Amino acid sequence: MFFLRKYKTVILIIVLLLIALIMLSFNLKYGAGRSFLSNIVLEMVAPVQKGVSASVRNIKDAWLRYIVLVGIEEENKKLNKKINELKAVVIQYQEGYLEAQRLRKLLSLTDDYNYHFINARVIGREQAALSKTILIDKGTIHGLKVGMPVIVPPGLIGRLVDVSWHASKVLLLIDENSNIDAIVQRTRMQGIVSGAGSRGFILKYISKTQDVQEGDVIVSSGMGGVFPKGLLIGRVSHVDRLEASLFLKINVVPFVDFSKLEEVSVLASSEKKN
Amino acid sequence: MIYYLLLPFLSIILVILQSTITDVVFSGRLVFDLSLIVVIYAGFRLDLVRGSLLAFVMGFVFDCVAGSVLGLFTFIYVIIFLFSFSASGRLAAEKIYIIALFSFLCAFLEGLMVILFYHLAFKFDVLVNMCFVSIPKALIVGLFSPVFFYMMRRVEVFFYEKTA
Repeated sequence: MFFLRKYKTVILIIVLLLIALIMLSFNLKYGAGRSFLSNIVLEMVAPVQKGVSASVRNIKDAWLRYIVLVGIEEENKKLNKKINELKAVVIQYQEGYLEAQRLRKLLSLTDDYNYHFINARVIGREQAALSKTILIDKGTIHGLKVGMPVIVPPGLIGRLVDVSWHASKVLLLIDENSNIDAIVQRTRMQGIVSGAGSRGFILKYISKTQDVQEGDVIVSSGMGGVFPKGLLIGRVSHVDRLEASLFLKINVVPFVDFSKLEEVSVLASSEKKN
Repeated sequence: MIYYLLLPFLSIILVILQSTITDVVFSGRLVFDLSLIVVIYAGFRLDLVRGSLLAFVMGFVFDCVAGSVLGLFTFIYVIIFLFSFSASGRLAAEKIYIIALFSFLCAFLEGLMVILFYHLAFKFDVLVNMCFVSIPKALIVGLFSPVFFYMMRRVEVFFYEKTA
């Protein structure tokens, strides 16, 4: 007893360090299975973060809409021109889509799944050193579960890694822990897209003999059943053919601007069609 | 007693403030680690029990919110606090450059521990992450910590009339 009283501070510090190490080992071994305590923290963070984000957003909007109007007219003209160009491209793609539908019928290929989306608002962005996540304002009571994909037009942005009752955390694709099966749209070559933080993505395991060029579009392959096939991921920005490696080093720029996420859609279910 | 009751709530507010500043000022490109500055400051101003608990709670809240492996920053923040506490008796904390250099060192050590952990656990690239992530973060912590230390001393003088 005297020993405990004499060294209580040291014992407390050792206990705290041991608890932290046990938590770390447990989560490393068994993956992202969050505790009740961390769900409570998430529930407490969500409304405060929502309030702070809403205030910041209102101030930003007021600044952009009423004070900083320099160059708006020029930008408007450029955007209108871009819209007209894209309209023509969409019409071409519509023709291609209709033709694909006809061919699919002919070959009796069917969509096996119905997709159901739940929209959510981004209420916080957490940008720790090696961790890129966002917080959204929907949770288990809205039907969300860990592992569900999250998308933003034009493409995929991540998956749910932590879901409490009213809030969820999305692990972004640019996070270094994130790996997704993908294909090069033009050549149908399969590889793995890994997050690389502020540098975007790296496409791995594409052999040096394969044809990958700057500008090639990368989409999800649908392998593994987590992410549906064909969702846009990014565009190849640089291809390196390193002497000492079997594979190409391919840098991919995301289609989505991860710093400007405001609303997202969670792919809530993929029930098989009867 | 009120300190221990308010600690989790204040930690949550601090982490939210930190992420808001990171988002608004740096657009998420650089990380502003205010919670680490608080932990370093705690090493200079708080006793072992209060400081360790502050570091533990702050690290846990940061782990829950930031998406890192649960327990990682909890462990690292306690280590950084202990390092800061042991150095506090030997450093002249009134000098700005000492505070800035020491905070830079602590932030660098924190970054090094995180990257080594991720390298051992997940085979992350160490060199690239050190250059693009840890060093800029440590520079920001080193730059802002003297400001924080000064502000906190002003607050202490205002509330408790301690010598600045």
